[in-house]
Amino acid sequence: MEDISLQSRIDVLSEEQVMIQDSAVAFIAQDEELKKVRESRFTQPGYDAQTWAEMAEAGWLGFLVPEEYDGIGLSFSDLSLVLIQLGKGLVPAPFSATAVLAARTIVKSDNESFKKARLPALISGEWKPAIAWQEARATLDVKAEKVTCADGKLNGQKLFVPDAGGADAFIVSAASSEGTVLYMIEKDASGLSIEYAQRVDGGFYATLTFDNVVAGEEVASAAVAEQALASALDEARVAASAELLGVMTRALEITVDYLTQRVQFDKPIGSFQSLQHKAVDLFVLSEISRSVLLQTTALFDGDASDKERAIAASQLKSRCGDAALQITKDAIQLHGGIGYTDECNIGLYLKKAMYLSSLWGNPTAHRGRYASLVL
Amino acid sequence: MTDYNAMADGDFRKMLCDWLVESYPDELRFPAERMHWDQCGDWYLTLAKKGWLAPGWPAEHGGMGLDANKLLILMEEFEGYGVGRTPDQGMTMIGPLLIQYGTEEQRQHYLPKILNGENIWCQGYSEPGAGSDLASLRTAAVRDGDEYVVNGHKIWTTLAMDANMIFTLVRTNKEGKKQQGITFLLIPLDTPGITVRGIDNLGMHDEFAEVFFDDVRVPVANVVGKENDGWTIAKALLGHERIFIGSPKMASLAMNRLKALAESAGMFEDPLFVERYTVLKLEIEDLSAAYMRFVEVLKRGGKIGAEVSMLKIWNTETQQRITDLMLDVAGENCGVSDAIPAGDTAVSAPGEFIGARPTTIYGGSNEIQRNILAKAVLKLPS
Ligand SMILES: Cc1cc2nc3c(=O)[nH]c(=O)nc-3n(C[C@H](O)[C@H](O)[C@H](O)COP(=O)(O)OP(=O)(O)OC[C@H]3O[C@@H](n4cnc5c(N)ncnc54)[C@H](O)[C@@H]3O)c2cc1C
Repeated sequence: MEDISLQSRIDVLSEEQVMIQDSAVAFIAQDEELKKVRESRFTQPGYDAQTWAEMAEAGWLGFLVPEEYDGIGLSFSDLSLVLIQLGKGLVPAPFSATAVLAARTIVKSDNESFKKARLPALISGEWKPAIAWQEARATLDVKAEKVTCADGKLNGQKLFVPDAGGADAFIVSAASSEGTVLYMIEKDASGLSIEYAQRVDGGFYATLTFDNVVAGEEVASAAVAEQALASALDEARVAASAELLGVMTRALEITVDYLTQRVQFDKPIGSFQSLQHKAVDLFVLSEISRSVLLQTTALFDGDASDKERAIAASQLKSRCGDAALQITKDAIQLHGGIGYTDECNIGLYLKKAMYLSSLWGNPTAHRGRYASLVL
Repeated sequence: MTDYNAMADGDFRKMLCDWLVESYPDELRFPAERMHWDQCGDWYLTLAKKGWLAPGWPAEHGGMGLDANKLLILMEEFEGYGVGRTPDQGMTMIGPLLIQYGTEEQRQHYLPKILNGENIWCQGYSEPGAGSDLASLRTAAVRDGDEYVVNGHKIWTTLAMDANMIFTLVRTNKEGKKQQGITFLLIPLDTPGITVRGIDNLGMHDEFAEVFFDDVRVPVANVVGKENDGWTIAKALLGHERIFIGSPKMASLAMNRLKALAESAGMFEDPLFVERYTVLKLEIEDLSAAYMRFVEVLKRGGKIGAEVSMLKIWNTETQQRITDLMLDVAGENCGVSDAIPAGDTAVSAPGEFIGARPTTIYGGSNEIQRNILAKAVLKLPS
């Protein structure tokens, strides 16, 4: 499918970036019809092991991990090129959750031996941790309250853990006497129960309930845990936004193509001016989103403060969340009846947008944070 | 026979409300999806027995004969209580059509069967190549003695799998203007040669279907109106459909759900939410005012024309904005069956959001409604 973005018209990529983008384009081209995506819907873990192995092989899982832990140590600008393609291909593997949120939380933590032991395993694809931090709907606050750790035992409940099904272990934030601490909890730990709920996009959310679960290794002490988590989450929000950009641009590409093919009243429907204007509005929206993404990844690649990053992440996540929903909704409208079927791929884009735009804070939550930090 | 129109509004409301509490199954309140016959058949028959299945039909044909005002009250009470839609195309579409255009014989044959639940109807207009451009339809009916032989393919037929009758538009003449060779034909779905295949919608629910016709023989007596005159009739029926889609009913049903959801999430504490909620609330209140204005026309015995499109646009787009806000309130809850307990029901925000998508597509898409208003009302040049 032809790229309709302004990238080739007005942006400049380095040679290395072109290579990264090309390999990601080739990667998703393997499932252009989304057959694999459909097959893995509503089945655990929601993606196939081979996909994960290929991503590891491509080195993508180590993009944001420093070389001392076997990573590649590339930039957010580089990584976003991959993430946009993953969004376009609706690749269900938990890339942002594992290779960004989990990897970066660990990188920012203060247990050196844990990093040395685990990060290489994460990067090679052998070990997949999932971060369990959220305790309420629509919150961005990482301070643990409902899950507690006392006398070496965890109790309480974590919500909305994405992609827990394929995870080998959880990194759980818990309120200890010293403050929020991150612990590793094996998936089969006694006293841990996992309840899965199907998401519209075909993946799963998990609710983790801890009933006197023995605390595993301390991943981050109270001195750094909240900051590590908050900062990694902002990076994960950038990653999810890049995926959202991929979702919206591919949805638009598919729709523009449909407008060219579909004939009513003896003309391609794309010849009707009202639909042309609609398509143009959506295009503008997607390029505004891309502009914010480029600005934000550059900021994350520099030495901005945590606060500046939080502001930028919220600006980006609210824009991309809203834009992806708007574009995918209108894409369905422009498809007419066929757009409202499960058979037609365009609906899969809407559902992915529904998931990603609410993940790690929906647009309203992010505008709220933006206002409180900026105004 | 009760003259409902003579009742005081309050008494009428109370009568409906009491009866709903007594008769409407609790488990069917605020259903998330269109109900299939196996879920709502009993309720349909309960309504039928009570004589309240067809509130808008004249009493002489077995309806309640409600005037516009009482009809609106009935809708309000039903939606407020969370009464789900039954397969109602018999009542809302083909019934009124037969009352207007059918022969005496057709009326006597079909109307009672709608009212007693024997015939469940579906609407077979759209085809894969004929949606917005309905007049380009190609399903052909070729005369053979006292019968037509029908071949073709209808699609997006809502609840065809639950129906035993389909009213169709078929092509009986390929010459001349495409609108002129179309005939309105009633076809029993158990006629040999018909295949119905359910299609899963975006909510992964098989609410619509495709219907294939392969040498299907239909008596000529099943034509409504005259051969090749189906377009005029269909257009009249679309008028009916549009005022139905234009009624504030669907949007206020969505609003009730938003309210329940927001209450359970404590959102009314949040002034930002209250503002957004109030905007939507007033969109519906204002729509009601417009709707009543149109209904008054009918009450006076007048005719409603192209202008009715404005109701559909406003109603459906409001409904979609309501479900946008629901999704927002639901936060991370984007589950397939995330029904959040809300008051004495449960609301699935993602389900509502997805379910609101087609309202701007069916019954003539909103783009088509705008075209109609631009041409027929504003008289803009083409
Ligand atoms: C849930 C659902 C239930 C349905 N139930 C039934 C049913 O029971 N029976 C039945 O017969 N049909 C039914 N339909 C079909 C419905 O009437 C058609 O989907 C509708 O008429 C649009 O046609 P289409 O799907 O072919 O889209 P198209 O006509 O191909 O339209 C695609 C897009 O192009 C736009 N467009 C088309 N022409 C123009 C123009 N001239 N100017 C500007 N924009 C234009 C449309 O608005 C739309 O956005 C149902 C559809 C849905 C979604």
